[in-house]
Amino acid sequence: MFDRVTEVISLVLGALAIGYLVYEIDRRQRKLHDIWDVLDGEDALITDSLEDMVESGELRPFAGAALA
Amino acid sequence: MDSAARRVLHENFALIRDLQKDDPIYVLSREKSVDFMRRHGSRIGRDPIIAVHDMQALIKGGTSGFHGFRLSLGLLRTPEQALMGLQAFARFLVEHRHSSDLEADIRTRLRREGFAGAIEIAMHHEAREIGE
Repeated sequence: MFDRVTEVISLVLGALAIGYLVYEIDRRQRKLHDIWDVLDGEDALITDSLEDMVESGELRPFAGAALA
Repeated sequence: MDSAARRVLHENFALIRDLQKDDPIYVLSREKSVDFMRRHGSRIGRDPIIAVHDMQALIKGGTSGFHGFRLSLGLLRTPEQALMGLQAFARFLVEHRHSSDLEADIRTRLRREGFAGAIEIAMHHEAREIGE
């Protein structure tokens, strides 16, 4: 009886540990995506704005030695 | 707004520029940045932002799909985090400059970082139990 209870507790704790790892992996990846991510359809408007600025000459290649 | 990320970018900009001397770099002035943020409010609080446009992808498929990647340096709050983020970004740019599938490289890198972080947590917990 005691062995059975111990087994169940171990299983539950193991599941909780795995659940926590999965949660933590997901959390870190979401945080990373926030900081560093691909540009895709969601960024289309912003990319188009920047490309338009380059094409019109409003934005030119940086030629300085350092940022102002 | 003066932030740790902005200071780190200023201090290391010359090196970033030299590492990327084969490609044009565009910098928005303060006025242009403010005007840009007014039109694209979702970017407020994330600046400075470094966006890399994959011109081959843009010419091939426009902006509806993958067309580059970006680093929101402003989300890294301490100078150490900002410097590490910038260094990782610069390293990625140099190492994957001629990648045949940049999108896959980025997604693989993000997945790996997530797993590495979780392993680090697991090892830290185990070390605490052992009493190290």
